[in-house]
Amino acid sequence: MNKHYALNPGTRSGPRTREVWPPWVPHWTLVLMLAVVLMLGLGSPLVGLGAWVVPGPDTAAVAAAEQHDCLRCHGMATMAYRDPETGELVNLSLDKNELAYSVHGKLACSQCHEGGYDQYPHPAELSAAELNCVGCHEDHPENTDRLDFSVISQEYKKSVHATSDDPEAADFNCHSCHDPHVFRASLLGRKIPDIVAYDNQICLSCHEKLRDPLSSSHAWLPNRDKHWAAVRCLDCHTTLNDSDRPVSHEILSAEQSQVNCVNCHSQGQGLLARLYQYRSREDIEKQGFFTKAVYNQAYVVGMSRNPLIDWLALIIIGLTVLVLAGHGYGRYRAYQSLREQQAGTATEGDKS
Amino acid sequence: MSALYLYPVWLRLWHWLNALLFVVLILTGASMHFSGTSWLLPFDTAVPIHNTAGILLTISWISFVIGNLVTPNGRHYHVRFRGLFKRLFAQMTYYGYGIFHNAPHPFHVTENEKLNTLQQLSYIGVMYGLMPLLIISGWSFLYSVYLPETLFGLGTLWVIAMAHLTLAYFLVLFLIVHMYIITTGETLITNLRAMLTGWHRESDHDNCANAARD
Repeated sequence: MNKHYALNPGTRSGPRTREVWPPWVPHWTLVLMLAVVLMLGLGSPLVGLGAWVVPGPDTAAVAAAEQHDCLRCHGMATMAYRDPETGELVNLSLDKNELAYSVHGKLACSQCHEGGYDQYPHPAELSAAELNCVGCHEDHPENTDRLDFSVISQEYKKSVHATSDDPEAADFNCHSCHDPHVFRASLLGRKIPDIVAYDNQICLSCHEKLRDPLSSSHAWLPNRDKHWAAVRCLDCHTTLNDSDRPVSHEILSAEQSQVNCVNCHSQGQGLLARLYQYRSREDIEKQGFFTKAVYNQAYVVGMSRNPLIDWLALIIIGLTVLVLAGHGYGRYRAYQSLREQQAGTATEGDKS
Repeated sequence: MSALYLYPVWLRLWHWLNALLFVVLILTGASMHFSGTSWLLPFDTAVPIHNTAGILLTISWISFVIGNLVTPNGRHYHVRFRGLFKRLFAQMTYYGYGIFHNAPHPFHVTENEKLNTLQQLSYIGVMYGLMPLLIISGWSFLYSVYLPETLFGLGTLWVIAMAHLTLAYFLVLFLIVHMYIITTGETLITNLRAMLTGWHRESDHDNCANAARD
C-alpha cells in the first residue's frame, strides 16, 4: 500500500511539477515531503501505517498536495464526459468544500484511486475498477471508530439492496448510498432535523417517488410528514439492534420493516404520551366513547413504570410485611405467656 | 357473650365486592405494569378485566358513599375531635406495646362506635381520600384526550400515570395492613366473622383483657 505514496509523488516529476508547487511553497517543505516520500517508498511499516490511518502533518501535506493536484481538474463544476456507450453525461466534478468536510477529506486521492492516473485522459479501465471500501476499512479498523466493516459487509449481503432481483438494484454498491467524496460519518452537534434530513436524503435520492405529496406510500403512518422530518428511514427499515453499534446495514424491504410504534415511542415520556393520545383518539373514534372504557387499546407497556416509585413502594411493602410478621410473632409470644400464666394460676387453685 | 348487629347486608355485600375488586385490580394492574412476567396474566387479557373492574369499583364506591349518606352507617365516619389525639395515642400504644403484654384493649366496640380512632381515620383516608383519587386517575387515564396536555408544567399523562401508580401502591399497603389488623379482635376471626355475619360477638367477661388472646 505504501507504494501509492511512492508512485504518486513520482507523478509530480516532469513538466507538471511547476504547476503543482506554487511559488509560495517554501523549499524546506519540499525537502521534508521528499524525505517522507522516500521513507514510505522504502516501505517503513510504521510510517506507512501512519500515512494510512490518520495523516500526520507531513502526510497531510502530501495528501493535501495530491488533492490539490487532482482538484485542479475535478474541482471544476463542469468536469464531465459523455459516455460513448450510453451517451449520458458522467459528472466527474467534486465539490472541494464537501470533500474537505467529508470523512475521507484528509486522505490522498491515491489511497483509493491507485496508480495510472498520470495519463490524460485517464485510462477507461481505471474508472471502471471497483473500489473496495470494506477491504480498506477492515485493514484499518482503528480508523472506523465503532464500525466493524466485516459486520457491515455481512449485514449488507442480507439487505434488500443486495438480495433484490429488481434491475434497478443490479449495480448497487457502497457508493450508491455513501458518496466517498461527500459522506460524513457523524453530524454530531447539528440539529436533529438536519441530521435526519441529511440521512434521509441518501435514501430519497433513489426512492424519489416518496417525495410526491400524493404518494400513498406510508399512508398507515400517523403524521407521516412529521415522522419523515424527525425519524430516519433507517430507524424503521433496518433490523432492531440492541448493541451500541450504529444502525444496521441490513436494510429491510417494505414488507419486513418495522410497523411497531412502541419500539420508538416507549423510549421517552413525551413519545409515549404522543402515541397514547393518538391511540386513545383512534379508540374513541373506532370503538365509541363507552366501549373505550373497557377495551382501551392505547396503553403502552411501561408507560406507568417508574423505577424510583416501584422500588420505593416494593421496599416499603416488603418492610411492612416483615414488621407485621414480627408483630404477629410478638402477639403469639404474649398469648403463650398468658396461657402459661393461666395454667399456673389453675394449678395453684387446684392445690389450694 | 354480647352480640351487636353492626354490619347490615348492603354494607357486607359492598365490602366483599370491594375486596374482590381490589384483588382483581391489583392482579390485573400488576400484570399490565410488569407485563412480560411469566406468572402474571397476559397483557391483552389483563386490560379489559382491569378496566371492567375499575368501572365496577367506581359504581361500588359511589354506592358506599350513598349508603353512608342515607343509612345510619355514616355515623361511624364522623370524627369525634374531642380527645382525638389521646385516643389515637392510646390505640397506637396498644398496637405497639400493650398488645405484647396482654394489656386491655383501649377501645370498646359499641353500636354507635364500631371503629376505633385509628381505624376510623385510616378508613376515612382510604375511602374518602385515596379511593376517589385512584378512581379519578383511572378514568383520566382512559379519557386523557379530553384533558390539557400539561399539568403543573408536566405532561398530564405522566402525572396521571404516576398518581395512579402511587395510589395503587398505597392501597396495596392498606390491604395488607387491613388484613392483618382484622386479626387483632378478641380472637383472630372475631372481626372477620362480624363482616361475614353482620354480628360482632365478644365474651361478656372483660373482653378488653382478652383482646390480645389471639
